[in-house]
Amino acid sequence: MKLVFYGGGHESENLHLHKLSVELTDTSSPTITYIPAQSYGAEEDFREFVKSFKKLGVKKFLFSPIDFKMSDVLKEEILHSELIHLGGGNTFYFLYYLRKAKLLGKLKKFAKSGGVLTGLSAGGILMTPNINSASYPSFDCDDNDEDVTDLRALNLVNFEFFPHYKNSRRYNEVLEKESKKLKYPLYGCPDHSGIVYNQGNLEFIDRCYAFVSGDRIKLS
Amino acid sequence: MMTSKKISALKKSPAKWDYQKFDKIDGSHPLKKEVSDSVVEYQVRSRPGGEVAVFNFELAKDMGLIDKNHPEILTPELQAKINETFSIVIINEYDKEEGKEFPESEIKPKTYMATRYLQMQHPNKQGKTSGDGRSIWNGYIKGRKGITYDVMSCGTGATKLSPATHIYNKYFETGDPSISYGCGYAELDEGLASFFFSEIFWQNKLATERILAIIKYPKNISITVRAYPNLIRPSHMFSHLKQGNYDALKSMVDYYIERQRKNKLWEKAPKTKSKYNYFLKKECEVFAKLVARFETDYIFCWMDWDGDNILMDGGIIDYGSVRQFGLFHHEYRFDDDDRYSTTIKEQKSKGRYTVQTFIQLVDFLKNKEKKNIKEYDNHPVLKKFDKIYKEEKLKLFLARIGYHEDHIEYLYKYQKKTVNSFYKTFCYFEHAKSKHGRHEVGDGINWSAIFCMRDILRELPQLYLSRGNNISVSEFIGIIQSTYATEEDLELNAYRKKMVRKFQKSYWSLIEKTSSYFDTTSQQILLEVLVRSSVINRYDRVTGDSITKIVNKVMSAKPALTPDEVYQTMKEFSEYQNFDPSSGPFSLTAKPRRPKLLKSMLKIVREHREGL
Repeated sequence: MKLVFYGGGHESENLHLHKLSVELTDTSSPTITYIPAQSYGAEEDFREFVKSFKKLGVKKFLFSPIDFKMSDVLKEEILHSELIHLGGGNTFYFLYYLRKAKLLGKLKKFAKSGGVLTGLSAGGILMTPNINSASYPSFDCDDNDEDVTDLRALNLVNFEFFPHYKNSRRYNEVLEKESKKLKYPLYGCPDHSGIVYNQGNLEFIDRCYAFVSGDRIKLS
Repeated sequence: MMTSKKISALKKSPAKWDYQKFDKIDGSHPLKKEVSDSVVEYQVRSRPGGEVAVFNFELAKDMGLIDKNHPEILTPELQAKINETFSIVIINEYDKEEGKEFPESEIKPKTYMATRYLQMQHPNKQGKTSGDGRSIWNGYIKGRKGITYDVMSCGTGATKLSPATHIYNKYFETGDPSISYGCGYAELDEGLASFFFSEIFWQNKLATERILAIIKYPKNISITVRAYPNLIRPSHMFSHLKQGNYDALKSMVDYYIERQRKNKLWEKAPKTKSKYNYFLKKECEVFAKLVARFETDYIFCWMDWDGDNILMDGGIIDYGSVRQFGLFHHEYRFDDDDRYSTTIKEQKSKGRYTVQTFIQLVDFLKNKEKKNIKEYDNHPVLKKFDKIYKEEKLKLFLARIGYHEDHIEYLYKYQKKTVNSFYKTFCYFEHAKSKHGRHEVGDGINWSAIFCMRDILRELPQLYLSRGNNISVSEFIGIIQSTYATEEDLELNAYRKKMVRKFQKSYWSLIEKTSSYFDTTSQQILLEVLVRSSVINRYDRVTGDSITKIVNKVMSAKPALTPDEVYQTMKEFSEYQNFDPSSGPFSLTAKPRRPKLLKSMLKIVREHREGL
């Protein structure tokens, strides 16, 4: 599997991660699908997304918000892309509508059959076993307005992901505490940093941290 | 974003903002003197019990009523000033007949005017008794950038120009429960619907009246304050034309031209008699482009021979029957009790007839002889109207596909035949109706359209870009089918298959011709079209039905929305409904004031996106 986790931030500041993502497709002319976390404001985000990837020579894009009924044709087409990018936003909302659109299984299959799956913030969390990390810390968590109780996600990796991480005492206290409950690492990635998962190998881009059994470890 | 602490500090602070400009809105208006035949003057008095429901800060800043740095917060002083200025009721003929007396202190020093204009629902078809039936003009004000705005209010009492007065041959008491429209009151939900609708249209660069403020009273009653740079309608002129009142007509036209000139909208208008030719040319352009835009955007606005329901510059006024359809429901007719409205397709002939009336009007002004309107059936200005309409329709069609200005200029100039052919194929699908037939809907009748062209325009460039090839006929139909389409409607006969193929062939042809002319690849043009089309043809576009539901939602929100929250909610919502692909990213970074409400509003839009 080939996955890229984006810690967050603006498109133009994530160009280095975009470059790594495109390289993972092993093709000079990939089709990239952008799935935003919500349709509200997504067209403008898509415009910025296209602008960024165009700089890397990408010419083919699909755009597919999932919180309204997309056509079956487009739903099928996106799975033929070389790369699917899951955008940032409210993780609960995103999971709710991915499940409703019956896309979770299809995305999993996409990733397992060689497609590059990337995710920024909420999109990255969705690639992990569950979306627990969207519900803490209390001062910086997503609202669960959709009352999602089944927090299981794509489960493509055996770690959890905490985007927009800030190396401060109040964040560290919460993440250290949460990591004690886990059997696998919890990776904290600030904006513009990220993780590349390539066929089982992990590469940490910029300042990433691992939280393991209550300890904090600087990774890159 | 302002914190609640800052907001409360501001609300408690002594008045630091200057609201004196409001005092200029005191009933004075040049029309009273310049076209006295067009107005009925009323004394007005303060109306107690009003509470500001919403205030349009952005518009107020443009109008120069408040400082451009004023925060979007209704301070107690501002609220009081809005009430003092706009919470008024006329002392009407009924009050006088009944000998009602009001304390001097409550009566405003100057009179306010209701204006006379032609209205087809009136018994008198010459405009002798019709006009503002429940509105008065508050005045005018010179705003920023030198633009003068007219200000009027709806719901300020029953005037003698309302249809009810002449149908029942008596004056009505303001608020008389026995007569609804003629009672002179307006309702809060209609005011809010106008507020939301007009701001969305404004965002999308449509000329429209805008709502400055709404003042609410018990029992869902309200006053809606409207403003616009020139609130004159064709019907203001047509009444004088019908009556053959040359002097009044000339005064009204001269007044209108002069305001347009002063507002720097018609700077090139001659000052000699040839200004009437200029006037006619402008009105021809306005109405030809307007009906083309309305059809393209599926905007239903009941235009008719009287020239009511629309402003001289094509601005929308009075949102009572205005709708924006999700599909091209070209058989919809609004049921106005004793008559059905025109359809969206008939708007063109009504717009053309309006221009024909302007031809008659200008001829009358120039020669002082009023001829029968039929004599202008073949007038060159009408031919010009047809030409502008056709050109505008095709250009708007190309814009709708996602082409930008340079592409449009090229395609229109050099590939008109291909564009025309594609447009005809497009119309085959756009105009297709359900076999279900004509049926009654909430406020009229309809015969449902079945295909959503916005969906195919949004998805097709993506699929072409991804595949580099056509999609299948069944895929095509799968994308455009709406929820109105039955299985029978979607039957794939040989002709429909042929039209799907023709559609795709023409689409590709335009893309290829454009890429060849601009010396780039088809992929590049498709990508540009795709990005623009994703905004222009966004899935969730507001319809008339959804506006009604959204207003109900806003009115019943718990806890109730403060006036500032109503304004912010409208602002966020109308920004989201901006379908201009060239506008910058909209300000969604700030957290919505009422996120759950906004979310439920978006849900309503989606649920009603194909409706009326």
